[in-house]
Amino acid sequence: MEMKKKRTALEIIQQYDGPPIRIMEVCGTHTHEIFRLGIRQILPPQIELISGPGCPVCVTPVDFIDEALWLALHKGVTICTFGDLVRVPGSAMSLAGARSQGAHIEVVYAPLDAVTYAQTHCEEEVVFLSVGFETTTPASCLAVKKAQSEKVTNFSILTANKTMPQAYEALKGSADAFLYPGHVEAVMGTSHCEALVQEGVSGVVAGFTAKELLTALAVILVKFPQGKPFFKNCYPRVVTETGSQAGQQLMAEVMEPCDSQWRGLGMIKQSGMQLRLSYAAYDARKKYDVPSMHGHANPACRCGDVLQGKCKPSDCPVFAKGCTPEHPVGACMVSHEGACSAYYQYGGMLHE
Amino acid sequence: MNDVVTLAHGAGGRQTAELIDTVFKAHFANPQFTGDDAAVLPVGDARLAFTTDGFIVSPSEFPGGNIGKLSICGTVNDLACMGAQPLYLSCAFVIEEGFPLAKVEEYAAAMEKTAAEAGVRIVAGDTKVAGKGQVDNLFITTTGIGRIIDGVHTSGTQAKPGDAVIVTGDIGRHGCTILLARNEFGIDADVTSDCAPLWGTVRAMLDVTKDIHVIRDATRGGVGTVLYEIAGQSQVGIRLNSQAIPVDSSVRGVCGMLGLEPLYLACEGRLVVFAPKDKAQALVDTLRKGPYSQQAAIIGEVTAEQPGRVVVQTEIGAETLLPPPGGELLPRIC
Repeated sequence: MEMKKKRTALEIIQQYDGPPIRIMEVCGTHTHEIFRLGIRQILPPQIELISGPGCPVCVTPVDFIDEALWLALHKGVTICTFGDLVRVPGSAMSLAGARSQGAHIEVVYAPLDAVTYAQTHCEEEVVFLSVGFETTTPASCLAVKKAQSEKVTNFSILTANKTMPQAYEALKGSADAFLYPGHVEAVMGTSHCEALVQEGVSGVVAGFTAKELLTALAVILVKFPQGKPFFKNCYPRVVTETGSQAGQQLMAEVMEPCDSQWRGLGMIKQSGMQLRLSYAAYDARKKYDVPSMHGHANPACRCGDVLQGKCKPSDCPVFAKGCTPEHPVGACMVSHEGACSAYYQYGGMLHE
Repeated sequence: MNDVVTLAHGAGGRQTAELIDTVFKAHFANPQFTGDDAAVLPVGDARLAFTTDGFIVSPSEFPGGNIGKLSICGTVNDLACMGAQPLYLSCAFVIEEGFPLAKVEEYAAAMEKTAAEAGVRIVAGDTKVAGKGQVDNLFITTTGIGRIIDGVHTSGTQAKPGDAVIVTGDIGRHGCTILLARNEFGIDADVTSDCAPLWGTVRAMLDVTKDIHVIRDATRGGVGTVLYEIAGQSQVGIRLNSQAIPVDSSVRGVCGMLGLEPLYLACEGRLVVFAPKDKAQALVDTLRKGPYSQQAAIIGEVTAEQPGRVVVQTEIGAETLLPPPGGELLPRIC
């Protein structure tokens, strides 16, 4: 039964003869799985898959890295961060570069680990680099609440948290339909996806297995030729209409929406999250009076265009030349969920 | 160019190979200098296999073993990969000041037991103590010598188009175990290291056929790194069937959560074997009767096309490149 269903989705995809369609996935894990499974290779030519801005490391702008560098090098704080961010180039260097100049950079796997680090290193001032979408933002909020309740005064966070719905609207000209990220929607629920249909934005929520991804693509290909904006939840075993109330309440209590800079997409109104005034003591920007940065990325790097689907990674002049996973020029090459990294590591080179 | 040694230089992947080629090979090159797990030395009528291996695993105890057991398995298995019956080992200890004597005894007992199982004698050793903080707990280096069975000529250069690629069990358990034992992720899963001495496993295969082209121990860089090594050394392509690769469900789950590829997780009791296709099923049937190879499987084949590359047939019928090895996945796993 299941085998039959899987074949049917594959057949729908391979036999698609409708109008040309651009489908954008906006989740780094989707990007990685699509490459790992070789899904692009089985698509008819009129279906184009675009890897959108779904990897939190990739959309984090140079300015944010520059802020972290300033804190590390000029204020001497200890930076606690997810490992991927360490190698993202800022204007002058990456955090890894700063580490070789003596800056104190600690890799952690969860925001709460940074609080624990602060508690066990009382003589250090600790700043956690809070990046991520609705999936990781609750964990950052939890860390701030823990620091407050346990009176950890040497801990703060530098926020670059982002929310997806505003990005879909900003990108609606770049794609005909979105593969919505299953993990984000598990927290946020699908009601905002229904609302996006009213704005003319189509998409389906997809899971992460081969079967779930193929099913989601097949649903898009059935609905798109009908000509009306659509939404369907193709990951119902995990994603509900209302999402995680606990997660949403936690975020609403600790953080509030703000305008946010996205690498490649620029400023998107109300697409970011910052700490509420009541948690200002844990806001590194306020605590250290961080100056506003006006950094610049390597001009040859086309991460911004890649994130909008305006070019393929291999169209970038530095791709696989100056820019490799070991020596990344742009953020999309750093994270293994980045489009350039996936393109470099998987099928991109197979038939060349 | 980086001008200092990084953890990636010790990860068993491309950077390790670069360090060996540009520094060690440049200074040590000689006719017996080996690209395999052990050197092959003609002595009289016999051919001896000779190898050495250092162990710095952290933590030094983990589900399924400890650094003592590991230090015997690693060297015994390197000898076994050349078709050599392991005979004698030496061991050198570097112990940190303040390390409990009871632990040293515990690891020595594990070495005794594993050596007995593998049929080797530990005949020489060295003991050094370094000041507190100058090493981490205890490091062990073992060196081993074995006699290669007549008629066996395994080497990383011998893979041939048409060969079947076999793994002798489910992959990635050691790397996954160490990852979880470090407790950095807050993940609990029931995973045990596959750490085991494999001479018996190799012996059983050689009783089926001596016409085995390559045997390699999939340690640090995992099965994926071994496959790229062989594809390069033999100048052949390798095509894997992703659905045939045995992976324990817990290991798969952990990999899914952390975004890791099981093919690049270390094993300490798994061999990658290249043998003619017509012998492959008999080998797998025999392996499945052994204590450390019940999950043995044919996972792919050697091709003349795409030399140097490892291609994966995915579960949806597409073909992708297995991402080549690079960078450190996880330091200090053995």
